[in-house]
Amino acid sequence: MDEQTRQDLLKLFESKLNQAMRLYLETCSRCGVCTQACHVYASMPQAKYIAAYRAEIVRRIYKKYFKKQGELMPSLGESKSLTDMALTELYEAAYSCTGCRRCMVYCPFGIDTQMIMSIAKLLLVGAHAEPEILTMLADTSIAKGESLDIFREGFLASVKNLEAQVVEKWKAEAGETVIPVDKEGADLLYVALAGAHSIIPAAAVFNAAKENWTLSFFEAVNFGAFVGDPSRTKLILNRIVGEALRLKVKEVCICECGTAFRVMKQLSGKQPFKVSSVTEVHARYLREGRIKLDKSRNPEPVTYHDPCQIARNAGIIDEPRYILKHLVQDYRELAPEPIYNWCCGGGGGLVALGEDTLDFRMKSAKVKAEQIKKTGAKTVCTACENCHTQLSDLSAHYQLGTEVKFLTSMVADSLVK
Amino acid sequence: MAEEIKADKSMDLKGLPCPMPVVKISKGIKDVAVGEVVMCETSDPGALADFPAWAKTSGNEILQTVQEGNTVKFYIKRKV
Ligand code: SF4
Ligand code: SF4
Repeated sequence: MDEQTRQDLLKLFESKLNQAMRLYLETCSRCGVCTQACHVYASMPQAKYIAAYRAEIVRRIYKKYFKKQGELMPSLGESKSLTDMALTELYEAAYSCTGCRRCMVYCPFGIDTQMIMSIAKLLLVGAHAEPEILTMLADTSIAKGESLDIFREGFLASVKNLEAQVVEKWKAEAGETVIPVDKEGADLLYVALAGAHSIIPAAAVFNAAKENWTLSFFEAVNFGAFVGDPSRTKLILNRIVGEALRLKVKEVCICECGTAFRVMKQLSGKQPFKVSSVTEVHARYLREGRIKLDKSRNPEPVTYHDPCQIARNAGIIDEPRYILKHLVQDYRELAPEPIYNWCCGGGGGLVALGEDTLDFRMKSAKVKAEQIKKTGAKTVCTACENCHTQLSDLSAHYQLGTEVKFLTSMVADSLVK
Repeated sequence: MAEEIKADKSMDLKGLPCPMPVVKISKGIKDVAVGEVVMCETSDPGALADFPAWAKTSGNEILQTVQEGNTVKFYIKRKV
């Protein structure tokens, strides 16, 4: 690595050093409490998968360049130069961490390893050493925001094609638009994913609840956040914020995508609209009597996987349980306390890396597979696309015999007049 | 309707979870030589919007878009 590159990367490092980050980097007492908290270590007990070990790789560079020489800071351990070799270690640490923050809830100091890993990811982006597929996906999202005209008509036609499938789940009233798009003055903007499965059931539920809603042109997922690039994250986010402001909606409802929800909720700043997850919205409809569900359609044992970015990292824990109380006859918890639920093993961009990470994803989530098996549930439902893909892969790999479903789909399939 | 272009590789990208349609086309296009054409099919509105944006970002060219019932076929020429 040449000196100019090193200096550029150190500037990026410095941009991350707010008060909280400095505290995380200077506080670890090496108590080891986080060791067993990480699903990767619990499934594959190797030192490199200990949360504090991952953080140490960043911490050593911090000590070398951002603490005065000779300053007494025993918790910082050794220092290390930023070299190509260090970048390889940073890659291994960052892309074997799903950012689930389970370690953080165990750590007596609340050290956020995911946040420390965000330094590693940013340095990798700066060195063009990140997984290029994630950057490509982020750039595709940004290009969409810049050129709505090139896909607008095709998108509208293709949305129209889904209407019959929505009506199969919930018959629209005469004159009602089944999937409204670009509707100024709608109360709620629903931001879905690319797949029809993310639009059809949600549309049926909105129509059943008589919501004044509209579908976003953009997909909710934010690959800028997965790759750890704050400027790309912001550009992708701004497309949706801009659309919500243009349509003057009161609420932006994010589909079943954990990262999309956390990013929108925590990074969109003060806006004239509120941000909700689709799970919160469905719980609200039930509470207000705007939709009714038929439990008898779901007699088999069901468990719910709390997506880390929605539950542990954004606090949506009671709402899915409230829905499930009205939705299924035999509900079984995965963990005694949802906040300690094991990560599915697919977050942090790992699922988006597809086949390349499959072996690691399966091995590192052995504890998750065991947790599911113990419940005896026939169905695992969840509220995140990433988790759904990973849990389906786990079910096949460990022959769990469980079907993985989206909570929204189950709600839509159980609607009654 | 315009005459269909001959494709050197076909991909069915219907109903895949996010973000697999774009991931698969970016990998799939590398299986053909520069100048050759991949045909991919989708029925997902978001994916349909993603392909033109992906082509723009990656420097490849969408030669033709054919709507057939619920599905859309893209003919994409590898340019880089
Ligand atoms: S955030 Fe999750 S994956 Fe990362 S070190 Fe902590 S427990 Fe492990
Ligand atoms: S639990 Fe916290 S203080 Fe203890 S080793 Fe892990 S990160 Fe350090």
